[in-house]
Amino acid sequence: MSTDPLSTTFAALADPTRRAILARLIAGEASVTELARPFDITMPAVSKHLKVLERAGLIARGREAQWRPCRLDAGPLKDVADWVQPYRRFWTESFDRLDDYLREVQRKEQQHAGKGRRRTPRGKRGNA
Amino acid sequence: MPAKDAAAHRAANEGTPDLVLSRTFNAPRSLVFQAWTDPARVAQWWGPRGFTNPVCELDVRPGGAMRIHMRGPDGTVYPMSGTYEEIVEPERIVFVGSALDGTGRPLFAVRHTVTFADHGATTTLTVTAHVLSATPEGAPHLRGAEAGWTQQLERLDTYLAAA
Repeated sequence: MSTDPLSTTFAALADPTRRAILARLIAGEASVTELARPFDITMPAVSKHLKVLERAGLIARGREAQWRPCRLDAGPLKDVADWVQPYRRFWTESFDRLDDYLREVQRKEQQHAGKGRRRTPRGKRGNA
Repeated sequence: MPAKDAAAHRAANEGTPDLVLSRTFNAPRSLVFQAWTDPARVAQWWGPRGFTNPVCELDVRPGGAMRIHMRGPDGTVYPMSGTYEEIVEPERIVFVGSALDGTGRPLFAVRHTVTFADHGATTTLTVTAHVLSATPEGAPHLRGAEAGWTQQLERLDTYLAAA
């Protein structure tokens, strides 16, 4: 299940720190030290996040031994967006239909209750 | 995946949802909850506009199965299956839903947490989705479903223009 590239991308994006790192990289490439600065976490913890992002293909790292700059690779992000957008659409449309359905059901119930009151002698069948 | 990885994966996913959708409906909470748990009611609204649900079987209890066949305006059937994980009437439903391809293979699995917030005459419904697994083939599947109703709307538009 987790071997699928798209699933790996979703898992990588599930963490708020990793999302923040990606957001920073939109502005351009950065070193690990630079990326760690805004976060209250250790360098090894940042490295771990970067490894997850790298495995998911979301970032690429330079070859320079000392500062290996990280840069964003937007490819997998586009795949995720392509996936999520229709899914969002599915739910938005379903909500529209649920809204219509709930209105219709309540309109019918009201009509029914109205008729019931007119036909039923007071105090006998109640307003169930 | 190993149980430990699965747990870690789940914990990570629960930290940040992939999709949150919320809407307030002009209906009391009990009715909105029924609209989610009574199969005959669910079949009336599940899926995009123009879709019907010729199969809608819901065993609404923890571990219970859901099976829905959505039928698009062009006649294409999009089967999905799922499992309920948590039912707290009338507040919360958790289920994992999977879309299936022609051979019954899951195209993706998404855990949905549905909450029903009571405001008397109105109810705020929130669907939080966590993608557990996804395949690239799932995207065309979703897009196919989308194209289905877009085509239908286009056809309607053409019809109205000609009338």
